[in-house]
Amino acid sequence: METLRQETDEAGPSIGSENPDERIAARRLRIAARNEAKKRQELGSNSQEDTEIKEVRMSQKKVEQSEKRMAKLQADGTELVTNILVAADFRESKRRAEMEEARRLRIEKLENEAKSSLEKFEEITQKWTVAKAKQIPQDLRDALISQQILCGQLLEDKNKVIIELQQELKASDDRYVKDLKKHTEEVDLMIERLQEQIISLKKSYREELDLVESTFDEERRTLLADNRMKWEQQRQRQSDRELELLLQRMQQVEEHELQLQRLRLDNTKECNTIKAKLEMDVQILEQQLQKMKATCQLNQEKLEYNFQVLKKRDEENIITKSQQKRKITRMQDILNNLKTKCSNQEKQSREENQSLTDDYKRIMQQYKDMQRKMRHFAAVDAKRLEDVWLMNEAEAKALVRQALEIDRLIHEQQLGLAWTPPPLTVMEQPGPVQPRNRIQPSARQAAAQALVRREAPGEERELEEQTDGNTVEVPGGPESTGGRMDQKTVKRLLELLCDEMGFLIESKLLKLLSPLEKDERSLIKLDSIFSALAIESEEDVYKMADFFMKYKFQQKDQAEQHSSVSNQGETAEQKDSDLIHPNDVLRALRTFTALYCKPRDISSRQLSGIPELEGRDDSEDGACWESLATVVPEPKLKVWSTLEAALEKYHFVLTERSKLVNETQHLKQQNSELRMLLHQYLNSKVNTELAIPPTQVMKLDPE
Amino acid sequence: MHKVAVMNLTKYPARINRQTSTFNSAADPRKMRRIIAEDPEWSLAVVPLLANLCLQNIVKNFKEKPIFDELLPGHKAFVLEKLSTSLSLSVTANLISDEAYWKRCCESRWGLSDVSEYGHSWKRMLFERHLENIIELFIPDVTDPKSVLDVVPQCRNYVRRLKISQLLPPIREPPKFEEDDSSDSASDMGHEGPSMDHFDFSILLDKLTNLEELQLVYGVKGCGMNFEWNLFEFTFRDCESLAKALKSCKSLKVLRIQQSKVDDDKCRVLVSSLLDHPSLLELDLSHNLIGDRGARAIGKLLGRSHLKRLAIYNNQIRGPGAQALSHALAKNPSLVALNLRLNRLADEGGQAVAQALLKNQNLVSLHLGANEMTEPTATAMANALVHNSTLRNLSLACNRLGVDGGKVLEEGMSHNSSLVECDIRLTDMSLENEYCIGQILRTNQSRACRRQTQDTGATQ
Repeated sequence: METLRQETDEAGPSIGSENPDERIAARRLRIAARNEAKKRQELGSNSQEDTEIKEVRMSQKKVEQSEKRMAKLQADGTELVTNILVAADFRESKRRAEMEEARRLRIEKLENEAKSSLEKFEEITQKWTVAKAKQIPQDLRDALISQQILCGQLLEDKNKVIIELQQELKASDDRYVKDLKKHTEEVDLMIERLQEQIISLKKSYREELDLVESTFDEERRTLLADNRMKWEQQRQRQSDRELELLLQRMQQVEEHELQLQRLRLDNTKECNTIKAKLEMDVQILEQQLQKMKATCQLNQEKLEYNFQVLKKRDEENIITKSQQKRKITRMQDILNNLKTKCSNQEKQSREENQSLTDDYKRIMQQYKDMQRKMRHFAAVDAKRLEDVWLMNEAEAKALVRQALEIDRLIHEQQLGLAWTPPPLTVMEQPGPVQPRNRIQPSARQAAAQALVRREAPGEERELEEQTDGNTVEVPGGPESTGGRMDQKTVKRLLELLCDEMGFLIESKLLKLLSPLEKDERSLIKLDSIFSALAIESEEDVYKMADFFMKYKFQQKDQAEQHSSVSNQGETAEQKDSDLIHPNDVLRALRTFTALYCKPRDISSRQLSGIPELEGRDDSEDGACWESLATVVPEPKLKVWSTLEAALEKYHFVLTERSKLVNETQHLKQQNSELRMLLHQYLNSKVNTELAIPPTQVMKLDPE
Repeated sequence: MHKVAVMNLTKYPARINRQTSTFNSAADPRKMRRIIAEDPEWSLAVVPLLANLCLQNIVKNFKEKPIFDELLPGHKAFVLEKLSTSLSLSVTANLISDEAYWKRCCESRWGLSDVSEYGHSWKRMLFERHLENIIELFIPDVTDPKSVLDVVPQCRNYVRRLKISQLLPPIREPPKFEEDDSSDSASDMGHEGPSMDHFDFSILLDKLTNLEELQLVYGVKGCGMNFEWNLFEFTFRDCESLAKALKSCKSLKVLRIQQSKVDDDKCRVLVSSLLDHPSLLELDLSHNLIGDRGARAIGKLLGRSHLKRLAIYNNQIRGPGAQALSHALAKNPSLVALNLRLNRLADEGGQAVAQALLKNQNLVSLHLGANEMTEPTATAMANALVHNSTLRNLSLACNRLGVDGGKVLEEGMSHNSSLVECDIRLTDMSLENEYCIGQILRTNQSRACRRQTQDTGATQ
């Protein structure tokens, strides 16, 4: 801290300096130093604080003293120097005042002089008028002389003034020179004083500086001594403590050494045992190590071998892998190709399939057609066979009858014998083929009958009998078992069907039917309904009616069972209990179709007439025909041949005769023709022109 | 298309020929440029660096081709070191900013000189002194004004102060011989002939944009035995041109026109040009012939400017002028220093100033030495000192205040605590009073010291 202060005081600007800025700077430094000191004091111990402050104050005081002294010295110096300036100023002002005064006096004097001279001048001018008035030359001369004297006085006065002024001017010139001299003197003096001042200030500054330095030195010295003493004390104390500590430490060291020795001994013992054990271990381990090394070597070799093998394999693998990869790629290509092929194939096969199915359908269709045709043809064939058969039989029978007739004729006419007819069993016997004249009445007819019956109740019976007859003829028909249905119920049922089953009729048909009569309409409707339901025969109609009746009874039973459930249905059913309820018609019809349509189909197919053809046996045919051929016996044939021969002769004669007849006939004709011609010629006009007309010739021959 | 192709074909051979010819010509110097391997004394160290050669060339041809800004810093230093100081300023002025070069220039021109006066800038010093020299040696009607104006573009940025210690009159036989120390007649003579006009500042000042300080002396330095009164004329025209120039120079802060025979009329002209000047801080019109009217004009200026320092010592201001000044002083808020030494204020002016001090709150320094003041001023001043607390320096030297005045002043001083310096030499006071006043001053000084230290401590 002291050094800092010294520095500031020595090197820095002093507070006593003339320059105010320097002073300010010096003060600032001092304050900074003080603040620093304060800080240090706070940090330092309290004991040191007081002494330091005291010391600081001592040096501070000294510095302040010197500062004051220097300030005073400087002020005195500047005063001394400026004294000259002030004196000069004073003189100048005094001179100015004097000058002013002198000027004032001068002006006054001049004015006075001017006034007096003016008076004189006026006097002179007055005298001039007086002189002009004077007539006497002496007087005039006197006056002139006096005027001259006056003018001379005036001039003298003026000259005096001028001389005075010139003297003043000279005096002021002298004074100016003197002033200049004085000024130079003063300037010299001032310079001298300045130099003196500078020298003295320098000297005093140096002295002060020395003094301050010496004080600071002293302070420092004392401070140093103090500090050194303190230091010594502290060091002494420290060394004592150190010594003590050292002794303690030595003691401790000894103790520790002992302990160490003991521990070392223990440790060596322990160490030896452990060493032995460990050596043993080491040996064992070395052995093991050797073993392990051997095995290791072995393993290594093995492993190397394996490694080599694996390497090889790996290489192979790599090769195979690459091959596989190539193969895979190839396969992939193939696969792709195959896929494309497959897809193509699939497409093709699908197309093929489609075509085949189409073919199949067509073929099936064809087959069906064929069957149908076959059936048709079979039927036709059968019919034809039947027809042919019947025709041939008839022909044969006619021929037989003809032969018999001829035989009879021959016998009766030619031979004149009584003819006995041969036994004609063959003729009476029917052929294997019977003509089929049984035609079932169609459903439509049945329906028509049923419907018409209402209008014509009279015919009803007749029709009924007819149907009876028809139905009776059919052996084992379902209707015969079902018994007779009430015609009325059938009719009502049909009407019901007609009303309810409208949906089965085509809409077009309905339109077409609208203009027709009610009966006809219902008939056509029923016809279409029956066609839709595949009900073809009257038998089917009755079967249906029967079913409906049965169904009704069933329903009734069910309804009774569920009477509690549905009251409405009960009431409706009770209203027309004898007939099926319109709402149930559809259900009943469905069950009916489900039940009967299939078996009938089968049965109808079986009944199609094919078994007739199949079942026919042609064993009797030959005999039959044979019997027909042998109607005429052998002897009779001999008779006939002889008769033929005789007859042929007769025939010959007859032919000759006929020829001749013809010839004559012909000649007769020629004759008539010729006659005709002649007649023609004769009747023609040319005959008149001729000289000799043929007519005359003819006339000659008039016949 | 074909045609074009053919043309191209015809063109190519010609071009190729030309190229080959150029190659041949280039090949020759290449052959000549060889290093003689046998030379044992050859070493690379002898060969000057190309960079150095270039730099030397740049230095040599700097006048024709000033290449400087493009150089590397190291090369710049080299060039600056080698650059001649005699180079024309027009080349170097705006190019080189290095102080070392300008120091060399200054020293080669004027020898040792103190650069601290010029803000420690050698360049500024060079240009200021250069311009001052030119103006001081300017002879109207002989020297071409261009010679001054030519320098302006180079100096403009660097000239801050012009201390012109002389202005030469035109060389012509004086039409009349005049030997009269009366100032009025001299000023009247100034009107007569235009022949006595000095350098016209209006052509220069508006171009120096950085000018802050102007010091003028309309007179001849060191005329010796060639003394003639007309060497020291400040003509009305000079005054008008100067006023115009001052009005145009907006950056001016300090104006000093000393020993130039500025009388009332010229003072009024100058002041009218300085009214409402934006930057003027200091005005010095000492050693002139300003009377009461001039003082009144200056008083008006005080009211319409920011002047801080005003020096009009050694003039002829009397009581009325001082009254006008003190009237302005009472209201002025900026003036810090006022010097009225060596005037003729007398008691009338002194009392007026003292009364102005009662109101003024910013004047720090006041010099009223050698003003023919007496006891009444002392009483007025004592009264002012009791109330004023800003005045620190006061000079009342060379005034006949007398013993009574000293007593009164002592009494006044005893109530004052701000005054630090008070010059009361040669005032005919009793020694006792002087001593007492000195004591008071000393206590005030120490108090001020303490206050200042406290202030600085507080600020720190």
